[in-house]
This record gives sequence, C-alpha cells and structure tokens, in this order.
Amino acid sequence: MNTPRVGIIGIGQSAFQRRREDANYPDLVREATSLAMQDCGLSFEQIEAVVYSLSPDAMVGIGNAERLGVDAVGAKNKPFLRINTGGATGISSVAAAYYHIASGAYDVVLTAGADKVGECGDSQTVLNKIWDPTYERQLPLGTINMLAMSAVRYAHKYGMDEEDMARVVVKNRIHASRNPHAHLRKVITIEDVIASRYISWPIKLMDCCPQSSGGGAMVLASEKYIKENNLDAVWITGLGHCAETYWMGDRMGRGQSADHADAHALAQSFQRSYRMAGITDPQKQVDVAELYAPFSSTEFHSIEAAGLANEMGESIARMRDGEYEIGGRIPVNPSGGTLCTNAIAVTAMMRVAEVALQVWGRAGDRQVPGAKLGIASGNGGDHQLFGTMVVEA
Amino acid sequence: MSGHNRVGVIGVSIQPSIETGKRSLEEILFDLTKEGLKDAGIGIEAIDGIVVAANDQYDGRAISVMMASGPVGGVGRDILSTPSASEHAFVLGALRVATGQFPTQLVMAWSPTEASSLAEVQRLATDPYYTRRLPMDENASHALQAGALEHAIPSVADSAQAVLRKNLRHGAVAYPHAKTDTVGADRSRFPWPLREHMIAPPVTGGVAMILASEDFILEHGFEDVAWIEGTGWATEPSFLGDRDLTQLPGLKAAAKQAYHGAGISDPANAFDVGEVADQTPYQELLAYDGLGLCDRESWSERVAAGEFSAQGRLPVNLSGGSLTHNPIFCTGLIRIAEVANQVRGRAGAHQKTGVARGVAHAASGFAMQYNTVAVFGRDQRGAK
Repeated sequence: MNTPRVGIIGIGQSAFQRRREDANYPDLVREATSLAMQDCGLSFEQIEAVVYSLSPDAMVGIGNAERLGVDAVGAKNKPFLRINTGGATGISSVAAAYYHIASGAYDVVLTAGADKVGECGDSQTVLNKIWDPTYERQLPLGTINMLAMSAVRYAHKYGMDEEDMARVVVKNRIHASRNPHAHLRKVITIEDVIASRYISWPIKLMDCCPQSSGGGAMVLASEKYIKENNLDAVWITGLGHCAETYWMGDRMGRGQSADHADAHALAQSFQRSYRMAGITDPQKQVDVAELYAPFSSTEFHSIEAAGLANEMGESIARMRDGEYEIGGRIPVNPSGGTLCTNAIAVTAMMRVAEVALQVWGRAGDRQVPGAKLGIASGNGGDHQLFGTMVVEA
Repeated sequence: MSGHNRVGVIGVSIQPSIETGKRSLEEILFDLTKEGLKDAGIGIEAIDGIVVAANDQYDGRAISVMMASGPVGGVGRDILSTPSASEHAFVLGALRVATGQFPTQLVMAWSPTEASSLAEVQRLATDPYYTRRLPMDENASHALQAGALEHAIPSVADSAQAVLRKNLRHGAVAYPHAKTDTVGADRSRFPWPLREHMIAPPVTGGVAMILASEDFILEHGFEDVAWIEGTGWATEPSFLGDRDLTQLPGLKAAAKQAYHGAGISDPANAFDVGEVADQTPYQELLAYDGLGLCDRESWSERVAAGEFSAQGRLPVNLSGGSLTHNPIFCTGLIRIAEVANQVRGRAGAHQKTGVARGVAHAASGFAMQYNTVAVFGRDQRGAK
C-alpha cells in the first residue's frame, strides 16, 4: 500500500461535565470546534470538508441532529456527512476524515461533535432501543447488564474478581485527577468502589462510566499540506474496524459465534491496524494506549484484544502489578479513559485525541514520558462495532 | 472528489418499491445484498468493507447499523454508517476505495414505512425551540420551497406540472410491476402550493451498490463498469430562515466539485442521461439550474419542448424518479444507482441506448439541505 500519510494537526476538547446548561447542543459542538481551530491555527476557509460525529439522535432528543450542527462546524456549502457507529462513532468519524484525505480528494478535514448524555433523562432507556424489538429488547437489556454478563463470563473463564475490577477504577481515577478535561477526577480507593451499590452484578456504581455532556473536535491534514505549511503534526499510521454479531444470544451457550467474555472482533480490528502500521509486537512497540472501556471489567479484555498481554486473562495479574499505570510498562488510559468521561458521540474520538496528545508530548500532567507510538480504540452497539487506530509522532 | 485511485461501480440492486408485510427488514437487506453481489458476479468474500446509510428514526431503532450488520455481511468486516443521507454512504464508500486500502465496498441504504407517522419522525429533526411547533415536516419544507419559487417565477407551476407528467410517464415504463404499497400515507394532505401527486406516497425501498478499485476491476476483467469520474457533496445552512429557498448554493458547490473531478466545463452538453432529486417536481427544476443543465430562465421553454423526456436531448429521471416511487430515505442513493446502471447498460426497461456519461443528483433533509452530485462514465480513461 502506498497511501500518503495523514496527520492530526488540531485537537479541541470542551469541558466535560454532568450537565452543560450553559451551552445548548450546537454551542457545545462550536466550543470544541473553536478549540481545535485555535489549536491548529487555521481559519474556517481552510477547512475543506467536515465529518460530523453523533451517535444515537435520541440522546440529544433531535432526529438527524447533525443538521443543526452544520453552522457550528462552519460547513455551509462544504462537503459534510455524519457517522454513527454507536460508542465507536468518534473513532469512526476520525477514520472517515482520514479516508477523505487518504483518498487524495481533500487536504484539510475537520471532524467534530458533541453529546448531552448527562441531560438526556436516562441513557439506558435510549440504549435499550438498540436491541431487536421482538427478541432481545424486552429482557430488558441495557448496556450495563449487557456488559455485566460479559464480566461474569470473563470472571468465570479467567479468575477476575470484584477487587480486580475496582483496581481498574482506582487507576483510571488517579489518571483522571491529572486530566483537566475529565469529568470524574476525584481519587478513590478500592474500598470505595467495593462499597458502592450494585447496578447489575458484578458491576457496581463506581465500576460504571459517568453520563457526560461535552464536545470534541479534531483537524486532520495531508502530509503534503502539513509540510507545505510547516505545521506540527502527529500521524495516523494504522486504522481499521471490525464488527461481530448483533445478537447477545449468539455470544452465549452452545453454537456461539463469539464468546461474550472476550472481544474477538476488537482483536481483529487491532490486527488490521497493526498490519497497516507495521506493528508485529505490540507489547514492545506500543508506548501508550487509550482503550474504550466504559465499565471496569471491559478494560481487561480490551487490553488483551490489543495484544498488550500474552494471553487472555493475563492482564488481571499485570494490572495488580501496576503495569498499566502511568509509570508502568504500558500505561492504559492515562487520561482516565471512558470510565471517567463519556459523552458518547465523541468518547472514542477523545481516545484518539488523547493518544495524539501523548505522542505529541502535549499531555500535560498525564504525559507518559517518551511516548512515541500510541493506540486507541472505540466500541459501539452491544459490544459489536469496533474501531482501532495507531498514532505515531 | 478526485482521488488517487479510480473507482467503478460493478454491481447494483435497486428495489424502489417493496411490498411490506412479506419479509422482515433483515430479510430485505439480505436479499438486496445477494442481488447486488449477483449483479457484480462476486461473492461476499470479495467484499472487504461496507458503508450503510442506516437512519435510526426511519428504522425505529437506536444505532440501526447494528441490526443491519448481519444481513449485509458486516460480521467480521469493516462496516461504517452514514445516517445523514443515503447518498453519503456512496460518497464514503467511494472515498474508501480511492485510498487504495479497500479493493471493494458494499454500499447500501433502505427506507421502511413502519413508523406510525413519518411526518412525526421528520418533525423530530427540527429545532426543538424554533421550528418544531410550526409543525414542520419534510413535505412542508418542500412546499415552502415550491411556494418561494412560484413567487419568484410565476410560470414555474406549469413547468412543475410538465415535469410531474414526464416522470410518471417514465415510471410506468421503468417499473410497471413495482408495488406501490402506501401504508401510512395520507393522500389528502398536500401542503400549498403542492397538488395531488406532486409528492408520491412513501413506500418501502432499498438499494445496494458494489464499488471496486481499478486494480480489482482490471484483475477480474469486469465489463459493464460505471466509472466514477467526479463526486461532490455539500450542505446548506441549518435554519430555513437563513436560506433563500429559491437558490441552492450547496448544490452549485457540489456540482463544481464533481465537474472539476470529471473535467467538465460545459455540463449542459456533457451528459447522455441524468437522475435528479424530485421529491417534488420543483426540486427537479432546481436541480436543472444547480447542475448547469438548464438555467431557470429557460425552464418554461425547454421543459415544454420535452428536452428532458425519454425522447428528448437529455432524458432526466428515466426511472420515474421519486415522484413515481418514494422510499424517502434512500431515494438519493437510488438516483445514483440508476445513473450507474444507465452507464453500465443495465437499466432494464428504461435503458437509453448508447449512454456514455451520466449525472446523478441526490438531495436530503428539509428543502434540500444536503446535495450530492456524481458523474459516471463508460470510458476507462487513463487506465493502466
């Protein structure tokens, strides 16, 4: 493959909070867009196309809400389209912006979006509607009990316990305390997590991500444009997506096409990204990872799908040894990750943005020293749609 | 759009009107996929990327690409969704192939009619503070656009009637056996100044396209390829109040991009066939103008002279357009697929002989907010 490189030249993250009553939905998109534009130093005239990042419309209470965001992202009379792959939407939008440039059609593309999950009433009521209305919606499934079943299965297969889950939360909260953009920044203890109430066994309140409101934006450009304009950039060197079955029942019991404990499609997606980036030994080559894990238990199988452990289940012991902390061998979610901030439409975009900041050396107090190669992931649907990316300095 | 690698259309399946109640949506999508692959003469194993346009509101689900992923072969594959418009799936699919990273893409869109009120579905897409209470739906926005045109150009009503008669004539030839299941349609409501038949009742429909890289096409010796010569797309502003509804600068911007890619400087004389947005016949007239096929001062004369009818100089909407069959959300991708088939020589009953180049235009949203233009050619210019 001989595709010219695509670089990240600007990043904008709004304040992520429980509620953003100071800003309506287009205002939030604009806030993030303005920050990304300031970061890259370009004007809107230089943006040639826009990819809009928005997951379920019902979360903001407006159908095709991207139409209301057109002016906020400066897209009037420009190429504009929207992506929705559920929780993976943000990384899928970065990928779509990448394809605009890698195709040779455009040199500078903005991707932006926002969400008001914290103000939608109850996100689980919305997310119940992702399942088939006849067979699985009525159980009733939500994303929490859906992944609680995965946690039970993972614990059964690999020996994870609730203290192991709590350890992930404690690590990510410490990381988030260093990240001024994070929603949950209070440092907590394993005892705090264990003492929090069950939401869906074995997942407790503090094992869950928050419902966040906020926006995110990134500006991507071609290598030619970056060099001609002497811009600073980090590079997307690998990307891919992979989907697994829609049906929860197909991941359980006899005849299963996937095991609900694992994240085999995420692993396939990482393999695609690694192949493209020339990564053959992720444990040696990856310096930092931002992996989409909205519940503590899912960080384990995400680490394993990314090849940052030798085998399934091994990440539990490595987590105990502190290998995935800042200062550890391969820090995972130094931003605090999805567990500490989840404005769904842009959560997976922020995974890419945070890794970009890391390899750029611009991650502030959460900087992983010497990070030059990072990986990011996004999970969407009922743990079904996965996107992955490799970003290098 | 003018990318690094040439992209062609090698397979198409168009179902502009599907009888409801016979198959589930999943079965419809599975059948569309199979038929698109069969038309291309390849199996699903040759598809390594998929872009669908899955719209949650029309499908009555959140993240409806989830449901679609299985029936279209998405499991184990790289699949994305563009819920903004069906035609945006084509755009993104073409971009992905043009990168050289994907030899093929399956591109799909569909539009069911199971919602209890499509008008309510559309009304939820309005701004909740300013326009939702009007109440506004897409038909009302199209009527506002028609009204603005009638005010600006009094003779436009006659031209619109002529376009309507033309497309219904074309549709009777193109799809004589297609069902027009009008479940949920209220034929008594035609917002002024629209008259009966000026918006076809909604029907269930779907469309699949197989895109491939030049290398893949040459390696496998495909014939009947529609090469993408140029693509452009653009959006109008969000608020209707910020727009002059008689003008479509977004369409002109999209056409400029597409024509630049295709090297077209005289669009009025560049094409053998066209398929354009026609949710109302007024939209088709605006498309003539925005695409540079016929300026608005000449609508009356040239439409009356039959220039855009089957026997005319530039037949437009030989398929009958969405004035004949109106699967609302996927009408845009159908316009694109129809032109691809004309160029491939596979348009069936409505095939025009000797089509070498065609133009497709798609519009979506309130009063044509999104506009997409695609130019297809038969010639493999500059092939390796």
